[in-house]
Amino acid sequence: MAGTAVRTARARPRPPLQKPGAGTLTRAAVVAVILLISLFALPELLSLYYVDAMTQVAVYAMVTLGLGLLVGRVGLVSLGQVAVLAIGAWTAARLLFATTLPYPVVLLAAGVVTMALGTLIGLPALRLRGLYLALITLMLAGAITVVLATANFPNGGHGFLGYDASSVHIPPIRRPSIAASDPAYFRYSVIVAALMFLLAGVHIKTRPGRAWAAIRQSEPAALAAGINVTLYKLWAFALASFITGVAGGVLAGAVHYLYSIGFPTQDSITLLAVVLMGGAYSLWGAVVAALLLQLLPAVLHNWGVSADWLTILFGLGVLQVLTTAPGGLADQVPKDLARLGRLLRRHLPSGAGG
Amino acid sequence: MPSWQDFQPFIVSGLALGGVYALSGVGLIVLYRATGVVYLAFGAVGAMGALIAWSLVNASVPGWVAWLVCVASAGVVTLGYGLLFGPALAKRDPLVKAVATLGLTLVLFGVMDLLWTTGGGQSRAITLPTDNGGFTLGQIQVTWTQVVGLGAGVAITVVTAAFLRYTKLGTAMRAMANDREITATLGVPVRRVEAAAWLGCGLLGGLAGLLLADLVALDATTLTFLVISSLAAALIARLRSIALTFVAAIVIGLIHDLLTPIQSLSNYRDMTPFVLAAVALLVLSRRRVISLSREEA
Amino acid sequence: MREHRLGGRAAAALVAVIGILIAAGCSSSTSTSGSASAPAPSGTTVSTSQCGSKPGVKATGTPIPLGGIVTNQPGTSFADIANMANAYFTCVNANGGINGHPIKYYIETEQTNPAQIAGEAKQLVQTDHVVGIVGNTSIIECSVDHSYWEKLGFAIVDSGIAPECYSTPNSAAVNMGPRYSSDGAVQYALSQHVSKVVFDQSNVPGTGYIAAGPSALAAAAHVPIVQLTENVPISDANSVAIKEVDDAGPNGAVILNFTPPEALVILQAAQKLGLENRVKLWGCSTPCNTDFIAHELGPKWDKKLFVNAELTPPDVTTTSAMSLYKAILAQYGHSVSSGVGSFSQMGFAEAEILVHALESVKGAYTVQSVNAAIKAVHGFNTGMLCQLWSYGNYPMHIPNNMDYTVTPNNGQMTTAQGCTKISSVDPQIAAYRKVAGVAPAAP
Repeated sequence: MAGTAVRTARARPRPPLQKPGAGTLTRAAVVAVILLISLFALPELLSLYYVDAMTQVAVYAMVTLGLGLLVGRVGLVSLGQVAVLAIGAWTAARLLFATTLPYPVVLLAAGVVTMALGTLIGLPALRLRGLYLALITLMLAGAITVVLATANFPNGGHGFLGYDASSVHIPPIRRPSIAASDPAYFRYSVIVAALMFLLAGVHIKTRPGRAWAAIRQSEPAALAAGINVTLYKLWAFALASFITGVAGGVLAGAVHYLYSIGFPTQDSITLLAVVLMGGAYSLWGAVVAALLLQLLPAVLHNWGVSADWLTILFGLGVLQVLTTAPGGLADQVPKDLARLGRLLRRHLPSGAGG
Repeated sequence: MPSWQDFQPFIVSGLALGGVYALSGVGLIVLYRATGVVYLAFGAVGAMGALIAWSLVNASVPGWVAWLVCVASAGVVTLGYGLLFGPALAKRDPLVKAVATLGLTLVLFGVMDLLWTTGGGQSRAITLPTDNGGFTLGQIQVTWTQVVGLGAGVAITVVTAAFLRYTKLGTAMRAMANDREITATLGVPVRRVEAAAWLGCGLLGGLAGLLLADLVALDATTLTFLVISSLAAALIARLRSIALTFVAAIVIGLIHDLLTPIQSLSNYRDMTPFVLAAVALLVLSRRRVISLSREEA
Repeated sequence: MREHRLGGRAAAALVAVIGILIAAGCSSSTSTSGSASAPAPSGTTVSTSQCGSKPGVKATGTPIPLGGIVTNQPGTSFADIANMANAYFTCVNANGGINGHPIKYYIETEQTNPAQIAGEAKQLVQTDHVVGIVGNTSIIECSVDHSYWEKLGFAIVDSGIAPECYSTPNSAAVNMGPRYSSDGAVQYALSQHVSKVVFDQSNVPGTGYIAAGPSALAAAAHVPIVQLTENVPISDANSVAIKEVDDAGPNGAVILNFTPPEALVILQAAQKLGLENRVKLWGCSTPCNTDFIAHELGPKWDKKLFVNAELTPPDVTTTSAMSLYKAILAQYGHSVSSGVGSFSQMGFAEAEILVHALESVKGAYTVQSVNAAIKAVHGFNTGMLCQLWSYGNYPMHIPNNMDYTVTPNNGQMTTAQGCTKISSVDPQIAAYRKVAGVAPAAP
């Protein structure tokens, strides 16, 4: 109703998707260019070592996307996303060994199962807020890690767990027939990641996104505005779990062999660190975070720099982000670039060509 | 189902393990009660102190000097962190403050692995004079170090509870954890009180690190992330009661070890702290929403 | 606002402090304790120039690139094996090389991450253009990469851990690995007529594969066996020790298969609890075979703990090969932090085998020629093993299947039992002996 000072989320009925403005079109163009480069140029230019590293970037971009949604959009900190990834990877591996289902179906199934488990756990946990929620996710992740250590990942065996402890010849987890080689699988994982980002983007632009923004702003106010806080929080958990589950499926095919020692609880802490550094509030931040988590170590490893330096860097990054730049690198770099641009414009002679 | 005889030795070892968890758990709560920060780097500062002590002992420095340096270094690092980052984060959510200490944990962890590299098949160890000698309880020998560990947990619990309740500094700390701004307006020197809280917690971390390095292992990864299991005890006490944290830690240790002879559950016994904490939190939150926003402490 | 900026400056200050710490630490860092430095070679003093064919002549031809992948992560480091191989290659390069060609050895370290391991294998092949792979020691590398090596035709010489290091055609190890070494420890315990065996191992990939060997041995001897696993790193060694002792009983044996730090923690816990004499004997697979452990454990474990030793005990052997090994370690092995011990012995043996194979290559050093030469290695005396070592064209490889048992004595590991064959009751050993026969003992 025009004239009232307070507009609630339901005051004005809006079409679900607005017509894109100029800013959105430029962003879409940039995304398209990056996608094209990733799909066509990168596999040719990079050595297999870096193609493998970039495949991991694609996988973890989905994981950081999920965590970024929770942390940045809704304000829920989860310290257990690596355990969620492990569940997705486990489900995918089990299905890939036990059935001949096509790969996209397996990925979807992994996502759905992880989503179901994530929602199941999320439901009672949502009674807790803030610090308690973060700590209980840490506890649950610790529990899942111990279960995984005992149950192990499927390796072609029989039974529900599909784990053959005495195998002397562990079969590799299969890949889709169209994406068997490393460069082809890289393209496959980029496409899957792009679809997940699209899914997240659609959520953000429509009602869930607005509800999440209201909840992050102030939960009591959102409640007062008539938003079903529990439902939207659960939705966020479900979406993050689904995306991370799909990421687990892609991971299974990427590495061919899964081990429980590859999913330690401390990795969840590093994951949160890079998400904060990359910027939890923007989708670009998720990509930056994945690059920090998977590409940077591969590069430094090649140069003979110890991985410990990265651990230190991530720790300092967390401290820096929390004290000065809450938007993270994805927020900071454009601002810094803009500032640099202004600086250049001031000092370059006006009217210079080009 | 194993017999009572089979369980007996595990009661003793379970109490010792509980003492281990209690040391860190109580230390965590102490700082939380004073500054509102869940100091997740508690294990890391203790581990680094223990490694520094190890290096000193290796360089033929007398034992007691090395242990003092261990405790002092943990105190200095914690105080440094508190002075550098405490004010900047003071107005933020307890969640943000806790995540910031995760940043410190990562930094310390990286530094430790760089400075004290993993050698080929060799491990480090700290021996305390209390390791030699003890007494027999049932069929098990108990070393004095284990008694000291358990005793330290009790002592810290009692002393800190009394300190926070009965002394002026302690009351100031509790007030500050509740609401820093109002406490400041009341004329309490918040910076100094905060510094005292950080230093005290750091010293506790160093002491715990030294004892845990002897009782568990002198390994940076193990000691740094042992804090997660101790955190479970603190969570069961809902981060409020020091005494309850101590009791919860003992119970966790007991259950963990008592599960050992039960064949079907033995492999899952490492889940004990996590499951108990999760269940406790979820059960306790059935009726009301638990939160730690700035408005409530 | 003021506090905001202070936080940023605080981060910078923290960076500076850490930088100073690191600088201080780097200038005085030693990471080892105990018997880390190599003792003077006992017996005949041997010049390191014996490692190469032309003593004193530096090799200056086109380098022969070789590669190796080793685990190096907090808590587990096998870098010493590759570092010792590198020391051997450096010695060879300073003394004639391979027909004048120096060896260039690329060492890749990994942190048990399958994606990283696969990537490093490709890096070695595609970027570094290696013609041979030697020195691999990793918890999972054999599983992850064996198809890749087979496809490209690389014959790996490694120190195996994963099952595929012993069960595939393109990997032959100088050691016995966890399963066959545990076999040796259990075999010794059974030879001492224990009435029950408790076999406890770390819960890392392959526990069932490892447990199958001891199970077969115990079944053949009609001795009950209890199989246990522990999550590592162990945070509660007391309960582990109590459980093992309870399950074994007074006339039983407790056999451990852990990395040295974890095994040490369990044994020390047993000692602190006063349990070490509550079983007939304690056993351990090869990782326990270090003077460091003998020293740390103290006299209570003399003739109580029996460790399976995959390699010839260095302290009591005075052959020229052993002297050469110690001399090379002293002169070129600065990066080998564990000094004299099984890790560096493995590196030495593997490097020896590669040099021996390379020296038989006529013509260009390509993937085909080098790996054909490696596969053709037959009856080679490394000086570090009980038997002569052969590669061969077999579907599986367990070329080291006879070894020692040692026990601590006065802070050092001494021989308790000389070269003994691992029993063919283990089906894998039987399968290997069927295709390859039994190699003769080394002179």
